[in-house]
Formats: sequence, structure tokens, C-alpha cells
Amino acid sequence: MEPGLPHIPSRAETIRSWKECGGGIAATLPIHYPRALLRAFGLLPVEVWGPPRVDPAPGAAHLQPYVCSIVGNALSFLLSGGLDGADVIIVPHACDSLQGLGSLLLDFVRPRQPVFPLYLPRGRRESDLQFLADECRALYGKLAAATGRAPSEMEMMESIRREEEADRLLAQLHRRRRTLSLTDRAFYRLVRAREYLPAEEFAALAHSVLDAPPADPRAGIPLLLSGIVPEPMALLDAVTERGGAIVADDLACCGRRLYPPGTRADPFHRMAERILNGPPDPTRGSPIAERLRHLVQMAQETGARGVIFYAVKFCEPELFDLPLLRRGLQEAGLPSVPIEVDLNDPLSGQTLTRIEAFLEMVAGQPAEEVRR
Amino acid sequence: MKPLAALRYGWNVKVLGPAALRLQRWQAQRRPARWDTRYLAPPLRIAPRTKELVARHWLAGRYANGYRKVAWVTSGAPVELLKALDFYVLYPENHAAICGTARVAVDLASEAESAGYSRDLCSYARTDIGAVLSGKTPVGRLPKPDVLFACTNICQTVLFWYRVLAEYFGAPLVLIDTPFVYTEEAAEHAVRYVRRQLEEAVPVLERIAGQRLDERKLRQVGLLSKRASELWLEILRRCRHRPAPISVFDQFIQMAPIVEMRGDPETVDFYAALLKEVDERIAAGVGAVKNERKRVLWDNLPIWYRLRYLAEFLAQHGVAVVASTYTNAWGELAPLIDPDDLWESMARTYIYPILNRGTGHKLRTMRQMVEEYPLDGAILHSDRSCKPYSIGQMDQRDRLIRELGVPALLLEADHNDFRVYAEEQVATRLAAFVEMLG
Repeated sequence: MEPGLPHIPSRAETIRSWKECGGGIAATLPIHYPRALLRAFGLLPVEVWGPPRVDPAPGAAHLQPYVCSIVGNALSFLLSGGLDGADVIIVPHACDSLQGLGSLLLDFVRPRQPVFPLYLPRGRRESDLQFLADECRALYGKLAAATGRAPSEMEMMESIRREEEADRLLAQLHRRRRTLSLTDRAFYRLVRAREYLPAEEFAALAHSVLDAPPADPRAGIPLLLSGIVPEPMALLDAVTERGGAIVADDLACCGRRLYPPGTRADPFHRMAERILNGPPDPTRGSPIAERLRHLVQMAQETGARGVIFYAVKFCEPELFDLPLLRRGLQEAGLPSVPIEVDLNDPLSGQTLTRIEAFLEMVAGQPAEEVRR
Repeated sequence: MKPLAALRYGWNVKVLGPAALRLQRWQAQRRPARWDTRYLAPPLRIAPRTKELVARHWLAGRYANGYRKVAWVTSGAPVELLKALDFYVLYPENHAAICGTARVAVDLASEAESAGYSRDLCSYARTDIGAVLSGKTPVGRLPKPDVLFACTNICQTVLFWYRVLAEYFGAPLVLIDTPFVYTEEAAEHAVRYVRRQLEEAVPVLERIAGQRLDERKLRQVGLLSKRASELWLEILRRCRHRPAPISVFDQFIQMAPIVEMRGDPETVDFYAALLKEVDERIAAGVGAVKNERKRVLWDNLPIWYRLRYLAEFLAQHGVAVVASTYTNAWGELAPLIDPDDLWESMARTYIYPILNRGTGHKLRTMRQMVEEYPLDGAILHSDRSCKPYSIGQMDQRDRLIRELGVPALLLEADHNDFRVYAEEQVATRLAAFVEMLG
């Protein structure tokens, strides 16, 4: 167990105990989806970000090598029986590769479980909100057919409020991360438990950490981490060992999903509103300038002195934005380093050297105020 | 409109340019064929006219700024709206394809890569971003966009790419987001969403264009668009004839107007003339491949920098590539366009391109083509730069082999970046494929 970290049930434990209580499991692919809707049907969303270090061979029979390892691994994991315990599979739309995976599952792979895609609109217009609300309503119909249940509006609102509370605590953990007496690895173990723990269990866990007296701010060169997913977790140890500390993130699995509470009375609109009002995200079509402002603002608020862009190889949403983001950050006085990874590869010596060189470079620069 | 820009446009685009292009066309008509006519039919008579038409389009773009409003548009976008508002419409994908055939794509992509754009990104995007950053282009000059108009019905890449362009040009980005159709029918709320976005785009485009949208003009553009698409489809269907009068390699070249000049009267005239020539070939028994023994399908984008090589290699073995899911995409939706109910039909038309539909739908399209054309095999270009087109091909290939009993080849390449194309490997694989065809 990590120091300062309460016991966090593993995915397997969580799934087992949820099923023992009569609940179902929704294996859910990245990135955005209405958790509350699944829970209203008694389905526990358990997210599948890859996972790392699986045998990629089964997926390689269906996908070309230029498809990212998150999608490739997810398919391999499914074909190797990794999702056998799931009752439904949710494939939110985020990029061409996830779109292709959803389509492959429906047309060719055809797993035992029903597969439900969910299209994510790429804007924040009223029409986008209405569409996503309609998409959630359509998903409700499919889930009702699959589970034989039909949760009422009141039950859905109750589920939404539970998720909102968990997200409020998740945001607090992010804000107070430097004084939580947790290492970066421990912090990400904690916040990523949101990917599979029931909201109420996550909330209890978050409370137990947040209620502890604040510690002195953790030492280390403050850094911001941007990308999809912090895998392999050895990355976090490598940063710590080389004198760095992650003080904020813009990760698809973490910081980009700090959804604000909703305001609408209709549950479908409220679920849609929350997703669309999340922090800037390229897969939701946020303009690059908006992403840049967000990164600079995070750096100002947390004192981050550099940014690590940690992109999964072949990830177009990440890679398209990098040059302009890096240029903008440089102009704001924030150096950055891009690192590409494949979920199946260990952290290479080359990557470690780059992190080390980057940290040395940042350490050698005077800590100036980040310019807007 | 600026008077000097108008004068420059008038002189270059309406007087000097057309005269020069006519002269070039006259010269081209007298030039000997470049492709090997021992195996291939002589070039289409219309080819110099195609070149002239396309060159006139790019010439107009060169002098458009200050005279006309300019829109940069994705290839599957509802261009009718822009045409009806008198925008000059530029297709970055077509520009990138021109760079590919002119073999300058890699030079331009390298410019983008030097600026930090990964080689794993779409080579069309890298080519165009490189052209924007360096100012280099084989078409003379690219006009700056007043608006960027992106439709996600061909891929999500265009959204990421156009967000980059929006930053470089400081131009507004109008997005028409078309939810992916996983099943046979698009959900009604998805069609409603597309229609609403089309309607919402109008005031934005009107403001940029400085004029109101005339519904009669829009209907007229819709009619022309539909007519050109119908003619294109007719031309493609003529390839059901044996021997096929034109090959897919001809189609790749002749498709430029249907992509970038859809909605123009000249495009309708052009395809009517092409159809006439195709019919004359059929009447005269002329086949695109002189000794057509086997007929195959091409799936995915062309390999722009090796069109001639592939056409000659296959023709040499009596293999005619006569149908393509790619060229078909610009014709198959023609029946959906209804000028009398344009808004609703535009929403439906633009949600249903093959690239916005599931992997199973593409397999069904391929099976249908195999039966209707009829075909002996299929080449599936596994295009590193086009994930939405390529994902699913491994299963599609297996099903074609297993269920239809036709040989199918997965050919690894990239539509614009020849650095990931290995000619020796391609030749070996094609030779084995030809052998399997018998």
C-alpha cells in the first residue's frame, strides 16, 4: 500500500462485490459517457483504457499496426476474455480509431454482450446539447431493452446527483493534490479509481483523503502532465526520481473529465450538459486557443514550470495540437517536452533521458511568473 | 470587393488565364500518350479538358482574395450552401492530392514535420499544413480562407486539421458534425441534428459572404449538384460493360470536378461530355485495358504518386481495375438529393457517405460491386493515413475471400507519403495476387 493512501479495492474486487449484490457491469471505452445513466440501470461502468501490457496478437488480426495501442489493446483484451464479466459494452465516440473499434465489434467481432456506441458531438452549441441529450435518451432505450429495467426520472436524477458529488470531490482532490501527502503514483491510483469504483465508494475514499490534515506542499519541480493516460505508471516514478512533481494534469482520463455540476431539470439534458461543459478537450472539438488558455491558467494556479506532453503513438487528437500548444506555452514562458508511448512498451531509456534533460532544463531556468 | 483585386481577377481569371489554358489544352491534345499504350487504351480525349477545367478552378483561387470570399472545405461538406453564397471553394484534400501526383507532397509534408507535426498524422493534412507554412504549392498560390467549413462525414481528422488551420489563419471554423452511422439507418435525432446545424450555419456564412442566401439559387445549385453526381454515377456504371471503357485510374483523375466543382454548370457539361466519350468507347469496343482478362475492385484512396505504375503493372497482366468504393462515393448518394426538399435531403445525403457508415456497410457495398460489375478480385489499399477507411479492411478481406470466394489483397501504403511505400514489396504482392486471379 502507498503511504497516505487508504485501501483501494482493485477492479476485480469491485466487479466481484458489485455482481454479488446483483448489479451488472458496463465495460466502457474512453472517453466521455454518461456514468449516471448506466448506474440508473444498475450497471457499474468499468473503464477500459487499453489496458496496458496485454498480448496484442488477438487484436492485430483485426487492426492494422497504425491504430493506437489503446484501441488495439482493448480489442485484444476483449478477445482474450478480459471483458467476459461485462454485461454490456459501451463505445463512446472520440476519434476515428474508437469509431472503427465500435463498428468492428458490431459488424465482425460480435462479442457475446450487446455493444452500444455513443456519438459525442464536437461543439458546445445548443444543437450539440440537444443532440447529446437525444443520444443519451436513445442509449436509455437500448439499456432498457438489454436489462429489462426502466428507471424513472427521479431515479436518474438521484444517480446524477451521486455522480456530481463524486466529481466534486474528484475536482477537490485535483486542486489539493500538492498538500495531500501522496506521491504522484499514489495520487493517480486514487483518482483513477473513479474509472471503476461506484460513485459513493469513490466519494467515501476521497473524503478519507481530503479530511486528513494538509501536509506541507510536496517538493519537486512543479510540472503539468498532458495527454491521454499516465501509463506505464513508471513514468510518474521516473518524474519523481528526477526531481519533478506533477501538480496538475490535462489527461483525457483525469483532468479533462472534471465535469462541473449540471443545472438542467431534465436528466438527459443534464447528463449532456455536464459532458459538454467539461474542461477543453480536442475530442470534443475545443479550439486549440482554448486549450492553450486552459493550460496556461492551470500553470498559473499551480505554479507549474513546464509541461510534459505524453501522447500515445498514432493519437491524432493529441498530435495535431502539439506544435501550436508548445509554441504558445513557450511564448508564455512554459517549456514543454513531447513524449510518445505505446501502452505495451516499458518506459524506454530514451524517454527517461528526455525527462531527465527536460527537468534539468526547467530547473536551470529562473522560476518566472507564467505570462498570459 | 476591392477594385484592384477585381481588376486583377478579371484580367487574369477571365481574359489572360483562359487563353493560356486553351493554348495548353491545344498542346496537350497533340502530345503523345505518357502511359504505356501497349497495354492501356489511348488517353481519354477529354483529358486535356479536365486539366483545363481544374487549372481554371485553381487559377480563380489564386486571385480570389479581395474579389470573392473564400471557403476552405472538406471533401464531403455540403458545398451547395457556399456555392449559393458565391464563395470561392477550395478543397485542401484535393490540393494535397495534386501535390501527391506532382510528387511534391513529401517535400511539403517535411515542412510540416519540421514545425512539429508528427509523421503519424494524415499525409493530406501534413501536405497542406506544409504548404500553408512554406507558401509553396504547385497551383501557384493558395488564397487565404475567410471561413473554414468542415464536415466530419469523411473522418474526425478533418476536425483536428481544420482547428489547426483556424489558428494559423484566424478564420472562423463552421462545423457540420455528422454522427457516425453504425447501423443501416441513421437515427432520426442524428438527421435532425445535421439539419439544424445546416440551418444554423446559414447566418454565419451570410455574414461572411456579405449577402443573403437566395433559396432559388440554392435550389439551382442543388439541381446542378444532383445532375453532376448522377452523370458521374452513370459513367462509373458503364464500367459494368466488358471490357470496361475506363479504369479506376482514369476515374481517380476524372473525379476532380465532381469533388471540387460540384454545383457548377460547367461540371454538368463536363460529365455529359465524358459520358458521351465513354459510350463511344463502348460502341467501338475499346477497353481501358487492351487485353482485359480479369476485373478487380479498388478499395480506399488512390496511391496518388504511383497511379501510372499500378495501372501499367496490372494492365500488363490483363487486370483491369474497374470499380472503386472511393470513386463511387461521389455518385452513390445522388438519388438522395431532392432539390424540392433541399434542407432535409442535404441532411440525409451528407450523413450517409460510405466513410460515415459502418465496416459492415462497406463490406456490403463491396459485395454488391463484386456481383454487379462483375469482379474477380479486390485490392484493399490499407492506407496508413486514412484510419476510418482502413479499419475493418482485414475482416472485409477475409469475408470477401471466404464468403464470395474472390481473391482479395491488402496492400500497405499511404495515399500521399511515398516514404511508407515499398515498391518491391508492392510488386511482389501484386504479382502473387495476379497469379491467384488465374
